[in-house]
Amino acid sequence: MLDKLLFKNQDRLQLIIAVFGSFLGVTFLVTSIHYLIKVQEFGEGADIMGPNTIIVQKKVSNSGTLGLKATDFSQSEIKKIEDMKFIKEVQPVVSNNFKVMFGTKDPLVPPFSTDAFVQTIDPKYLDVETDKWHWEEGDEFVPVIMPRDLFVMLNTFMSASGMTQVSDDLVMQINCEFKLSYGRNVKHLNCRVVGFTNQVSAILVPQSFMEYGTENFSDGTPKKITQILISGKENEFGLVEEMLVERGLESRKSQMVVGKLKSIVGTLFIVIMSISIIAVLVSGLVLIQFMQLLMSRNAYEVRTLMRIGHHPKKIIRKFFLYFVRIFGIITAVGFGAFMLLKFILDKVFASGGVSIDTSITMTSILALVSAYGIFALSSYLTAKKGIFNEY
Amino acid sequence: MNITLDQIMPEPLASIKHGETSIWGNKVVLEGGKRILLNASSGKGKTTFTTTTIGLRHDYTGTIFYDNRDIKTFTTDDWTNVRTNQISVVFQDLQLFPKLSVAENLRIKNSLTDTFSDKELRALLEQLEIDNKWNQECGLLSMGQQQRVAIVRAMAQPYEWLIMDEPFSHLDVDNAKRCMDMIHNRTIEQNSGFILTTLGDSHGYSFEQELFL
Repeated sequence: MLDKLLFKNQDRLQLIIAVFGSFLGVTFLVTSIHYLIKVQEFGEGADIMGPNTIIVQKKVSNSGTLGLKATDFSQSEIKKIEDMKFIKEVQPVVSNNFKVMFGTKDPLVPPFSTDAFVQTIDPKYLDVETDKWHWEEGDEFVPVIMPRDLFVMLNTFMSASGMTQVSDDLVMQINCEFKLSYGRNVKHLNCRVVGFTNQVSAILVPQSFMEYGTENFSDGTPKKITQILISGKENEFGLVEEMLVERGLESRKSQMVVGKLKSIVGTLFIVIMSISIIAVLVSGLVLIQFMQLLMSRNAYEVRTLMRIGHHPKKIIRKFFLYFVRIFGIITAVGFGAFMLLKFILDKVFASGGVSIDTSITMTSILALVSAYGIFALSSYLTAKKGIFNEY
Repeated sequence: MNITLDQIMPEPLASIKHGETSIWGNKVVLEGGKRILLNASSGKGKTTFTTTTIGLRHDYTGTIFYDNRDIKTFTTDDWTNVRTNQISVVFQDLQLFPKLSVAENLRIKNSLTDTFSDKELRALLEQLEIDNKWNQECGLLSMGQQQRVAIVRAMAQPYEWLIMDEPFSHLDVDNAKRCMDMIHNRTIEQNSGFILTTLGDSHGYSFEQELFL
């Protein structure tokens, strides 16, 4: 009876417009947050290094080749790059200044040996278990991260030798060997592959191994920093690319493409998310305004109900529940629409060759719950104010 | 419950000179269980008395006590309890819901205390000869019929006081008499009192106390 008294006298068209606006806002809000997170997660785990991290070097020009222009980085150059607002961190990539050879040492595979170029970077940039990424003199083997190019080369060599090619898992079981030498000083150390990278052309070794090699096998020539590792902020990879062009730096194309694509798609979803937040706020405000209008149209009824003994709290609860129920339905239908959109978009991404994790992100659910909570609180406060105005 | 009006002076009436017997500016005790007539011509403050006494207006000086408690100290919960269980009112402008039927208007009040069944409510309407209007929208009734619905609605709760502001202004003598009988019986049954404001007609009833403005 109270429902009939309080909610019959309303403009249905205005309510429908507000509900439809809220539905669109909620749907796009959840969808954009979900895909923004998925885009940021894209590439994680595919490589041993983070997806927002690239290794750059100076472009080698004719003058560089002739020794007229430095190809290494000075400390001030590194500091300047580090101070840029879209750069999270810059780290020098340390290369070997001692002679080292890398080869197989396993009866299951033919002997293979080559002069090697090894590098080391801060372990925080590597997605590898810390207990595996550790070496000290006397250990059974040196853990290494192998460039995928070298792995392909190894497989090509195996194929040419008439042997079966090896998988990622199998190559990690093969015993390999480093041969370090300086004059007559020669040392053989067992090593084993613990991961792969597409982003570095050299074999990555633990910092302790690099220090050991430098101490015992180098000729004392100071090390030059010819490569640096740049960690860019999320969705600002376009700026990193501009900076590289301006400063005559270069990186692997594939690294840049993923970072740039992520930047573009991430920015696109941020724009959609911003518009969605505005849409949710505006439609929420329209619903609240509709509530105020409804209360003002029913001012006589509300006043009379209280005069004949109905408690204001009971009337506040009526308005509050009516509107949170409406927003609840909007939220539920919005979530359903998101699931449908997700089903379609995941298929579109998959058919485009972009394999995105299909699980639902907690943040998007939290955004939905937060939007609902904010609306519920606003509804309650508006209802309370409106009813007590008539008391 | 006794209602005491101690030196009450509503702001709109402060500039008018009131007599020694007037309830305005003097101390008046309305003893529980009494049947009281408030007889005055238009513009003297009958509705002001009603709305001030039941806490709807606060623009006055002086103090109103329910027993020994100043009504200005009442909380929302207190007023809800007063309006549900202690004081029932027939407003001059009736305060019915015109879009609801007679039955719904009565139920919306009766549901607070479940004082009567639908059958009993219909029987009360029958006493006032409007039981055939049970399903009719209140807004479509004549003023006299609406007044009778408002009176029945005021009956549909327990009360210690029934305050009526010109409740028979649109009723003929016979209908006013029927209403008076119903009010008398219900009031006696609950051992309560009532205050009736009129423009001069006592409707043939013997009141125990008369107030002046």
